[in-house]
Amino acid sequence: MKSKKVNRIIIKSIFYIVVVIIFIYMLFPFYWALNSSLKSEDQLMQSPATFLPRDTDGNISFYFENYKNIFSNSTFVRSIGNSIIVAGLTTLISLVVGSFSAFALGKLYFKGKKITLYLILSMTMFPQVTVLSGLYAVITTLNLAAVPSMILSYMIFTLPFTTWVLTTFFRQLPTEIMQSAQVDGATPFQTFWMILLPLTAPALVTTGLLAFIAAWNEYLFALTFTSIEPTARTIPVAISLFSGTVARQEPFGEIMAAAIVVTIPVVLLVLIFQRRIVAGLTAGAVKG
Amino acid sequence: MAKKETGILLKRQQKLALKLLLPTFIILALVAIYPLADVFITSFTNREFAGGDENKTEFIGFDNYISLLAFTFVELPPVLDENGNQTIDSKTGEPLYERAIRVLPRTPYRFKEMSQFDLFGKRYVVGARNPEFLNAIWNTLVFTVTSVFLETMLGLFIALVVNSNFKAKGALRTTMLVPWAVITVVSARIWEWMLQPGNSGFFNMLLFRLGISNGQASFLTEPALQMPSMVMVDVWKTAPYMALLLLAGLQTIPRELYEAADVDGASKPKQFFSITLPLLKPALAVALIFRTLDALRVFDVFQVLLGSKMYSMASYNYFQLIQNRQMGLASAIGVIIFLFISIFAIFYMRSMGVEKHEV
Repeated sequence: MKSKKVNRIIIKSIFYIVVVIIFIYMLFPFYWALNSSLKSEDQLMQSPATFLPRDTDGNISFYFENYKNIFSNSTFVRSIGNSIIVAGLTTLISLVVGSFSAFALGKLYFKGKKITLYLILSMTMFPQVTVLSGLYAVITTLNLAAVPSMILSYMIFTLPFTTWVLTTFFRQLPTEIMQSAQVDGATPFQTFWMILLPLTAPALVTTGLLAFIAAWNEYLFALTFTSIEPTARTIPVAISLFSGTVARQEPFGEIMAAAIVVTIPVVLLVLIFQRRIVAGLTAGAVKG
Repeated sequence: MAKKETGILLKRQQKLALKLLLPTFIILALVAIYPLADVFITSFTNREFAGGDENKTEFIGFDNYISLLAFTFVELPPVLDENGNQTIDSKTGEPLYERAIRVLPRTPYRFKEMSQFDLFGKRYVVGARNPEFLNAIWNTLVFTVTSVFLETMLGLFIALVVNSNFKAKGALRTTMLVPWAVITVVSARIWEWMLQPGNSGFFNMLLFRLGISNGQASFLTEPALQMPSMVMVDVWKTAPYMALLLLAGLQTIPRELYEAADVDGASKPKQFFSITLPLLKPALAVALIFRTLDALRVFDVFQVLLGSKMYSMASYNYFQLIQNRQMGLASAIGVIIFLFISIFAIFYMRSMGVEKHEV
């Protein structure tokens, strides 16, 4: 009996060790980035690398210049604004346009619905890189600036996704609500706009968050469309091309500081909305 | 009378549906369908970008595709000594063969050496007109298979851990979202820094301290280490995401099944293989295909960490379009990627079945 208890304690401690290892595995890169962002160039080149910023005598010494430098780096600061504009407008437009079509697909009767659904679903798997050169041609023909180009092109992945997920939510809403509203004399569009849409608010938050994160992270289109307009660079492009003021070599201290700064909002979003995000991610996977 | 009224109502609904769908159609036509058609057409031309003189563009048929994909096998003749025997390298003890460049076709197009292999005692050389692109395809496939396999295994393991009851379960679930949500370019640069050669890089410091290596490994420039590094970076970012998808699947399995199995005295491993795995199959299949489609178009980590040192299909496409300004060739690459992904996507649609929904 006693050995059984000992066994259980051993198994339990092994389990908790595994949990701790998983935590470390997922978070270590951020710890290392934070650690490195607080080191001066000399401290970064110290061999071997230390787990805390230390001076030559081995005392802990933090260096904050990297953070000061990135906030006086106009390219980086501007890229934050660009990213907010691009990801924000992309989310807004795809939610409005997507909820229109999701209402039609989820609650209205019309011919060709099945083929439309197929088309939207296949669009969610569309390889963006395929249309890169075609899209570039469209954008040069329309003579669009980089920011609207990015917003427009991000619709490739946000719009089919929001439409698809919102359609499944609209479908779950009871049809009786629509019917009783129509009996009361509301047009179908009024029913949609004033009654059904408020009911889908949680779904709008979920899909909006996922669309925002996708647009916030996008790199390929942003890199391509800002290649001739550096002032429109978004965060991923700015960080991938980050160069110091005196560029002898890559300023990794500043890059790590920038990485930490742009990761904080992501962590906050995840902390606040984690339930919604998980719901949205798995809605695509489990419900299809 | 009533029938007529419903008819009118249906017509009104149909009209409204089309109006509501119109903005989506216009946007998707503009950003997806028209560019796709344009890419297909351009892929049969020698169009160059912003060359100033658009008139030079001509239809060249399948030339882009042929130049990208053409490859050949040629037998390498051995180097013979005066007695007619094959010369053996006195230093390495290896038999010597002619240089590949002498046997590979040079006209009308030059084939460059890709690799060599032995078959039935003879040495062959693989030549290609564009070894870079064929390597990019190969790299992408190797990357896809290994990273998706590893992240499924690791993701399943994490999901099983998180699915049991313990303190800090909620915290672990929240933490799992962070690698997924962080900007890929940002995490790639953090890994780039950790993979630095010399003792200032975290991994070299670690390997040196553990006495495994001399701490001088160049993870991103040594060809043998490049692919494992890419896979490692990708697995870190996507295994937690995989775990989340699988966790959702695990939570749909009724607890009673395990309780019943416990009563019957089935061991935990047996329960895993006869209850968990079969019931997890649908979620597993979907997660696998999601990730496979994503991995096939991998761009960010290759572009940031390797640039022109090693290409994926997508980063090679970007290189041809932006650096080389070869619009026709880049379009052909786009079409090839499209075909690759379509094959997987059709499989995906089949296995999920849209019909299951009452459309």
